[in-house]
Amino acid sequence: MSDYLCHDFKTPRNDTSRRLPDSFKAIPALFYLALVVTAYFMTMDWRAYKKAEQDKIQAEASKGQHETKTKDLQTEKVGLDAETAKAEILAKWMEGARNVQPISVAIARAMPTEVRLSDLSLERSDQVPANLALSVRINGGSLREVGLMESGLSRLQYRSYAPQQSKEGDVIQYRSTLIRAEQ
Amino acid sequence: MNPKQLASVILMSFIGIITYVGQIVHQKVESMKTAAQVAIDESKAADDAKQLADILLTKTKGETDELRRFLKSWTPSIQKVQTEQEMEAAVEYTLRERGISLVKSRKSETKTIAGDLFMPKLIIITITLEDEYAKVLNWLGDLEKRLPLARVIACQLTGGSSVRQIQLSVTVENPIVNLSASVGNKEAPKRS
Repeated sequence: MSDYLCHDFKTPRNDTSRRLPDSFKAIPALFYLALVVTAYFMTMDWRAYKKAEQDKIQAEASKGQHETKTKDLQTEKVGLDAETAKAEILAKWMEGARNVQPISVAIARAMPTEVRLSDLSLERSDQVPANLALSVRINGGSLREVGLMESGLSRLQYRSYAPQQSKEGDVIQYRSTLIRAEQ
Repeated sequence: MNPKQLASVILMSFIGIITYVGQIVHQKVESMKTAAQVAIDESKAADDAKQLADILLTKTKGETDELRRFLKSWTPSIQKVQTEQEMEAAVEYTLRERGISLVKSRKSETKTIAGDLFMPKLIIITITLEDEYAKVLNWLGDLEKRLPLARVIACQLTGGSSVRQIQLSVTVENPIVNLSASVGNKEAPKRS
């Protein structure tokens, strides 16, 4: 054997640096564990983020659609309300625009041939246009003609309110307010 | 500090950084989840509002159907007479049709109804004529038929110049209707 053989490698040596405490040996394991756990949570978070982002976009789009539709419906309702308001005004007008010719004819027809109508006046009330102020002068008539006239008017759905009649000689003066009876 | 200690410190720092970044990311995800939930809630609220508006519209349609059909059926009559000339023409036509020539007086005027956008004007015609009883009353019937929107505000029948004749004095008002007017909350109309 050569004298130069060296066995120094197998001889125990003192550490060049001091050993770490045992608890510190867990640090690399902890590092790898932290990497794995973080990778897991990051992946889950990433997926959750993407899903939430997609949900948000979908919800916002859906909200926009709902709002547009709501606006359309509200606009349509406003249009209907306006149309209804116009119809109500017109209906109110028409209520006070019923024909007066049938009334004149009914009164004239109610008079017998020997009786003469010398004056017939119909005036619409300013406050309630559906009401008509009637004034009639009957020559050579009696209360019977007044009754005939009133029954003729009732056939047209009108009734006399506060009728007044006076007789001066052969002339009967009759006044009343004609109110249309509700159907 | 020896190299092993240094390596431990570096690893611990990495662990700290990783944990910190993880937390930050998690917070961001949570805030995004909250925002998504808020958006979903808002979308549901918008859907509820839409359903409510739909119900209200359906209810309004059902409740106002009759009135709207009424307006629709009267629209042609409204459009028929929209000017003083058209009303004059209608009166003229009925007089000619009935062969009434003795018109004693005739006057027409236009009244403005302040604040009323739907019926902003009224055309008022006062006419006095004399003829046979049947002709005169038939003419009045014709006039009311031809001007269905017109309102006879005064009508007076008196004896004519002969026994067979009667004199009729009638005042008729016809509204000028603006169908395109926006009728909403308006003050009570005043006649001027």
